[in-house]
Amino acid sequence: MDKVVSLRWILGIFTALFVLFLYGPFIVMGILSFQQGPEGGPQFPIIEWSSYWYQHVFGLAPPSRVAPLPIGEALIRSLTLAFATMVVSTVMGVLTAQAFRRPFKGSAVVFYSVILGMIVPGVLLGLGMVLIADQVGVARNWWSTAFVLHVVYTYPFAFLVMLAIFNRFDESVEEASLSLGVSPAKTFRKVTFPIIFPGVLSAMLFAFTLSYDEFPRTLFTGGSDVTMPIAIYGTFAVEIHPNLFAFGVLSTLFSFSLLAIYGILLTLSVRRQRQRASGLQEDIS
Amino acid sequence: MTDFDLELKQITKIYPGGTLAVEAFDLQVEKGEFLSFVGPSGCGKTTTLRMIAGLEDITSGELYIRGVNNTHIKAEQRPTATIFQNYAIYPHMTVRQNIEFGLKIRKLSGSEIRQKTSNIIDLLDLGSVADARETSLSGGQRQRVALARGLVTEPEILLLDEPLGALDANLRRAIQDELKLLQKQLNITFVFVTHAQSEALGMGDRIVVMNSGRVEQIGASEDIYFNPQTPFVARFIGKNLLFEGAITSASGKIGAIKTPNGQFKGRLIGNAANNASGLMVVPSEYISFGKTSKKDVNTVKGNVELANFISNTVIIYLRLANGERTKIETHVAKLDGQDLNTGSELNCYWDFNKSSIMLSESNG
Repeated sequence: MDKVVSLRWILGIFTALFVLFLYGPFIVMGILSFQQGPEGGPQFPIIEWSSYWYQHVFGLAPPSRVAPLPIGEALIRSLTLAFATMVVSTVMGVLTAQAFRRPFKGSAVVFYSVILGMIVPGVLLGLGMVLIADQVGVARNWWSTAFVLHVVYTYPFAFLVMLAIFNRFDESVEEASLSLGVSPAKTFRKVTFPIIFPGVLSAMLFAFTLSYDEFPRTLFTGGSDVTMPIAIYGTFAVEIHPNLFAFGVLSTLFSFSLLAIYGILLTLSVRRQRQRASGLQEDIS
Repeated sequence: MTDFDLELKQITKIYPGGTLAVEAFDLQVEKGEFLSFVGPSGCGKTTTLRMIAGLEDITSGELYIRGVNNTHIKAEQRPTATIFQNYAIYPHMTVRQNIEFGLKIRKLSGSEIRQKTSNIIDLLDLGSVADARETSLSGGQRQRVALARGLVTEPEILLLDEPLGALDANLRRAIQDELKLLQKQLNITFVFVTHAQSEALGMGDRIVVMNSGRVEQIGASEDIYFNPQTPFVARFIGKNLLFEGAITSASGKIGAIKTPNGQFKGRLIGNAANNASGLMVVPSEYISFGKTSKKDVNTVKGNVELANFISNTVIIYLRLANGERTKIETHVAKLDGQDLNTGSELNCYWDFNKSSIMLSESNG
C-alpha cells in the first residue's frame, strides 16, 4: 500500500516537472512580453507592465531605436508555404495509405523510404538539397527547393496518420457501395472520404504546423526571401527585444486556435461515433 | 440461354498464398429460390458469396446470372446486392439517404427516387426512423435498413452474408420469418450464408452444405436432414447416431455393416464397397424404443447414463455395449413405458430403410 502511495507521488512529481518544463519557458516569455518599452529589456524584473511591444509588433508604436520585426512578408510566405505543404502532403498521405490497404510486393521498401523523410536529419537534407540544386542549376526559393523538403518532411506524418485511420476502417461500407452499383471513384468520394475525414483533419494539422515552424530544412534551401522562422532567427543575431516575445505569444495563440478548431471538429465526429457505440450497447442489453 | 437465375460452373478460388478456398463449385439456382449456404467457418461459403457479388476474383470457372456471363464483370456492374453481417450502414447519412444512395447514381428522376424509397420504407416499416442516423437505430432496424438499401435497387439476386449473426436469439427467430416472407413476396432469388444449421434448414428452399472448399451435398431441407450423403453432412446437420465399422455387403440397395455394437443393415449411399471402413447413419427421429419382434429392423441396446428432459424433447446419453457413449434426441411421447433411470437398460430399434451406410472417408 505504502509502495503504491510513494509511486504515485513520484509519478505526480515527474508529471508536474514535465508540465513545468513544457510551459515554463512559454510562461516566462509571456510575462516578459508585457515589459515596459522601448527601454525595457528581455529580462526580469518587469519595470512596468505595458502592451508596448505588442503595439511594436503591429507597427503601432512610435519610432524608436528598436527596429520593427521583419515578419510581414515572411509570415505570409510561411503561411502560404505551410498551406501548400499541407495540401500536397495530405493528398499524398491519403493516397499512399490507401495503397497500403492491400498488401503489395515491395511494400516494406516503399514504407521505409517514405518514413525516412521524417527520420533523416533536417540540416543534412537541406545541405544535400543545396548541392543538388546548384548542380542542376535550380535557384533556391522557399516555394521550390524548400517546399519540396517540407513535403518530404511532413508527408510521412500524414501517411502514418492515415495508415492508422485505415487500420480500423471497416471495408464492408465500401463493398456495400460497390454492390449497390456505385463506381469505386464515387464510393471513395461519397463513402470512404466522409468516414475518414477526422483522420484527414489530423494529417492536415500535422503537415501545417510542422511546415509552419520548420527551420533546419529551410535554412539553406529557402533562398533570400526568408520564411518566418528564419526571419526570427535573423533578429537574434543583432539584439533580442521583448517584441520577439510578444510575437511569440501571438504566434502561439494562433497555433492554439488552429488546435481548437481541430478539436471542435474532432469532438463532433467522435460524438457521432460514441452515439453509434452506445446504440450497439442497447442491442446487447 | 438458360432458365437459371444463377449458375456456377466449376467455380474455383485459390488465394494468392496458394490456399484453395473453393473447389470446382457447380450450382444452378432458379428464379425466386431461397438458397442457403451452410458450413463451418472457413468452408468457403462466404468466399463463394463474395465471388457471386464480384467482391472476390474468380480463379477459374464461370459465373452466369440470368444466362449472362458475369465471371469478369466488376462488382458495381453486377445485378446483385449484398447484405453484410455488420450491415455496413453509412454512419454519415440518414436512413433515407442510405436507402437513396444506390438509386441516385442510376439515371432516375427525383420523383422516381422518392417513390421507390418511400415504397421500400413502407414495406420494411422504417417510416419512424427515416431521418435517423445509424447511431440511434436498434439491431433489428439496422438489419432492415441494410435490406431496404439492397432491395431498393431491384437486384436480380440478393446475397446475404450471415445477416442475422449480430442479433440476439429472439430477434433472430422473428427476422428469419420476416426475411422468408419478404423473399416470397418479392420473388427475388436470395442466397443466404450462415454457419448455423437451424437457420439454413429453416430458411432455405434448398441448402448447400460446404466443407473445406467443397460442396458436400445440395438438397431440400428434409433431404439434407434425413438423407445425408456424406459423413460430414451426417455429423454437421441433424441429430444422427453414427456407428463406425466395416462394410460387409455392398450389393443391391440394402447393404450391411459390422460394428462393435452389432451387425446393421441400411441403404447404401455413394460408392460404398465391400470391406471398406464405413459409417452407419441413423437420424435420432427414426429410433424407436423397447423390445420388438418386427422384421427388417436394426437393434442396439445400452445403459442410460442420463436422460435430460427439455419440455417435450428428451436427450438420452446411452452407454453402448462396447463402452461407447451415444446421444439420442427424441420426443417424449416415444419413450412411453421406458425406464430412463440411470443405469437401466434401454433397447432401441429402427427400420433398415431409415438408416444409411456410407464410406467413412469423405471422398465420395
